[in-house]
Amino acid sequence: MWTGRIRLLFLMPAVFWVLLFTIFPLIYSLYASFHNVTNETVMERVQVPRLDAEGNPVLRPDGTPRMRTQVNRETVTDWEFVGLDNFRRIFNDPQVAEAVQVTAIFVVAAVAVEMLLGLLLAFLFNRELPGRPVLRMLMILPIFATPVAAGYLFFTIFYEEGGPLGWTGIPWLSHPDWALVSIIIVDIWQWTPFCFLVFLAALQGIPDDFLEAARLDTDSTLAIWREVILPQLVPVIVIVFLLRLAEAVKVFDVVASLTVGGPGNATQSLSYLSFRTGLRFFDVGYASAIAYTLLIAVMLVVTVLYKRIRSVYA
Amino acid sequence: MPKLLRLMLAAACTVALTPALAQKYVTWNDDGTVTLRTPEEYEGEFTIAQEMLGALFGPGEQPFAGEEVTILSLDSGPKGGISGPIYAFRPMWEELTGATLTIALTPISELYTKTFLDLRNGTGEYDAMIVGAFFYGDLINGNYILSVDDWMESGDFPQWNYNPMPASLRNIYTWDGVGYGVLNDADGQILYYRRDLLNDPEHQQAFEEQFGYRMPVPPNTLQQLKDIAQYFDGKPLGADGESISGAVLHLKVREQGLYHFITLATSFAMTPGPEMTRTNNVYWFDPVDMTPLINSPGHVAALEYLKELAQYGPAAQVSWSLGEAWDYFLRGNAVFNFSYGDVAPLAQDETRSSIKGKIGSAILPASDTYWDMAQQEFVTTEEVRKVGNVTGGSWHGVVSALGDAPDAAYSFLALMAMKPMSKWLATYGWNGVDPGYDYQFLEPVGEAKLEDYLQAGWDEQDVTEYLQAYHENFNAPTMLPYLRITGTQEYYDVLDSNLSAAMSGAKSAKEALDDTAKAWEQITDRLGREEQLQAYQAAIGWEG
Repeated sequence: MWTGRIRLLFLMPAVFWVLLFTIFPLIYSLYASFHNVTNETVMERVQVPRLDAEGNPVLRPDGTPRMRTQVNRETVTDWEFVGLDNFRRIFNDPQVAEAVQVTAIFVVAAVAVEMLLGLLLAFLFNRELPGRPVLRMLMILPIFATPVAAGYLFFTIFYEEGGPLGWTGIPWLSHPDWALVSIIIVDIWQWTPFCFLVFLAALQGIPDDFLEAARLDTDSTLAIWREVILPQLVPVIVIVFLLRLAEAVKVFDVVASLTVGGPGNATQSLSYLSFRTGLRFFDVGYASAIAYTLLIAVMLVVTVLYKRIRSVYA
Repeated sequence: MPKLLRLMLAAACTVALTPALAQKYVTWNDDGTVTLRTPEEYEGEFTIAQEMLGALFGPGEQPFAGEEVTILSLDSGPKGGISGPIYAFRPMWEELTGATLTIALTPISELYTKTFLDLRNGTGEYDAMIVGAFFYGDLINGNYILSVDDWMESGDFPQWNYNPMPASLRNIYTWDGVGYGVLNDADGQILYYRRDLLNDPEHQQAFEEQFGYRMPVPPNTLQQLKDIAQYFDGKPLGADGESISGAVLHLKVREQGLYHFITLATSFAMTPGPEMTRTNNVYWFDPVDMTPLINSPGHVAALEYLKELAQYGPAAQVSWSLGEAWDYFLRGNAVFNFSYGDVAPLAQDETRSSIKGKIGSAILPASDTYWDMAQQEFVTTEEVRKVGNVTGGSWHGVVSALGDAPDAAYSFLALMAMKPMSKWLATYGWNGVDPGYDYQFLEPVGEAKLEDYLQAGWDEQDVTEYLQAYHENFNAPTMLPYLRITGTQEYYDVLDSNLSAAMSGAKSAKEALDDTAKAWEQITDRLGREEQLQAYQAAIGWEG
């Protein structure tokens, strides 16, 4: 009996945390997505006598009391139920269409390159190299950079008039296509090390016996990779892919700090659009609808991919 | 010396020095005046009649002792534009009132969000906010700010009033005749040009040979401006002999890039007429049914013009905000820039500018061709009409209805708005408070004396042209109507992103403005067409 209660007691903080920071926002935003939310302040402004430290009225030279302003107010929030209107708006909003396209290009390009580069680097570092520990440490440093800071850092790097890459003549931030490439580059810079690190750990986890046995059967390095190493890596590759996919779809910080979604809306991701809709224009219901649509889409993609991959490799 | 004695001596010194230190910024003089000082690094000192501070203030009086005021401002740092003066005046105000002032700063791009998050959620964290005039539609609609008229009339607070403001600026500091904003900044865009280059006889002659007419200084029409920009573009006249650009613009999306277009399009899109009608002197929406006018052929022509002009500037300017474009111009790398009142004052700072004594200023030239909305055709005229503008934020303080210390918050804003302080702020340009009021303009149109500005380090011709240009701009017979209806931020954002798409080549001018008009219709329908129409009519003074 006591054991059960103590267990419950120890679980409470976690339960409280999940309820407060996960379940409540989920339910709140779901509720908001079916409403049009407006606020206003109802106020009454009155003049009341100004009092001194003893509580006596402060008087003017002519004997009349000095007054102070007192505002009696109440903030009124109106939740107008609009059904599925906010979700319908998504399909007629050209900004959403642009943001979906931007997000899709970003996710496909960034995640693919990160995975590929991470894998290649892991293979490279999985052998004896002079100064390998130092190089490995340097390789993973970008992971520790705050994405917003990385965005500002790359703003100076991509600066076209005198920045370190200005000599290339590439309109890094002033051309719609190149601006998106710039965002992708920053993400690759930051997250390739993560892929590299996980793949390297997985590679080093493959028992030497496997490889030695394989070498007895064939001299072909390619065959060993294909038949022994890759199958061992697949579960890790799948996990890294799903993690990166879910993370990349939410891209926000770099966009906000590097391009603010521009030029035009050329780099405006769905997350950034949702943020601006909710916190720039205070269209909270519609912002919630966009966020939910994104959430559902990502969950669908991840679930389908996960099931598919499990069915193939399980 | 025994330890106890040393401690006692230190304590005595502290007691003796504390009042002196506490009285560092305010001195009540025997002749009925009071001397107010900023911290040394700001070099401001004002001696004024004591009664100018209002009846609440006097020797030994600290009317808001113990109160805590928080003010939200855009962040340019303690010595930067708009936020700098708050730091400069805080110590003297704290000493005068006994209250404490907390300065909350946020990047300009976040100011609207921070302001309205606080107001809409009813948090009331800020007692006062520095806002752009285009916030007013939302501020008034939500009942979020307090009128300042009663405070002004009470005589209890630092004395200032709206009278020195031209009607164009007064209009955006007030709503429906009621005062809400406390006098501070005056924004508008004028043309800046390199006076030395345009007046150079060699260039005059070469220009005439190339274009067949004498180069006018300053240009009178936008078409002349483009010709001059084209003439100079690429010539080795920039800093260190580099190529100079014809013009430089700040076009970054969501960083005030849209204002170039808004200002420029006036003379293309506003059909001249003696008064405002459904087709004359209107700019944003049809004042009868809220149909957007932003994609009128006049607006489209203006955007096409802007794209052509941008060809004579650095390609990177599409991603430049104000600071980058200004620096490019101040370093001597462009012939033209049209922007806010900060540019000429910054040009006087030789640590960052190479064009002191070379910067000319003029009201923005006008197009020689405009769209006649009634006749539905373009009209070319030799009598161009220059339209004034108060484009920008004219950043100033308002008092929150949700704060706990409205009187104290107002007293701080009012202190900064007093004539000597306001004049000082305009004279020294680092602070982002740009001139626009009678006492800031030079005699005979204003009250200021040339010496005031020369003492502040200005070049005589630079400041004379600059103040003249702003006086003409703010007092122009026809002004660009200022958009400040509910949702202005959203209308602006759509326009901004489409303009940016056009300037970066992703859309044609017509596509960009058609898309804008379509999105504006959706916004209007969502916010309520009838309510929006009423607000718009009130904002532009439409009388039917």
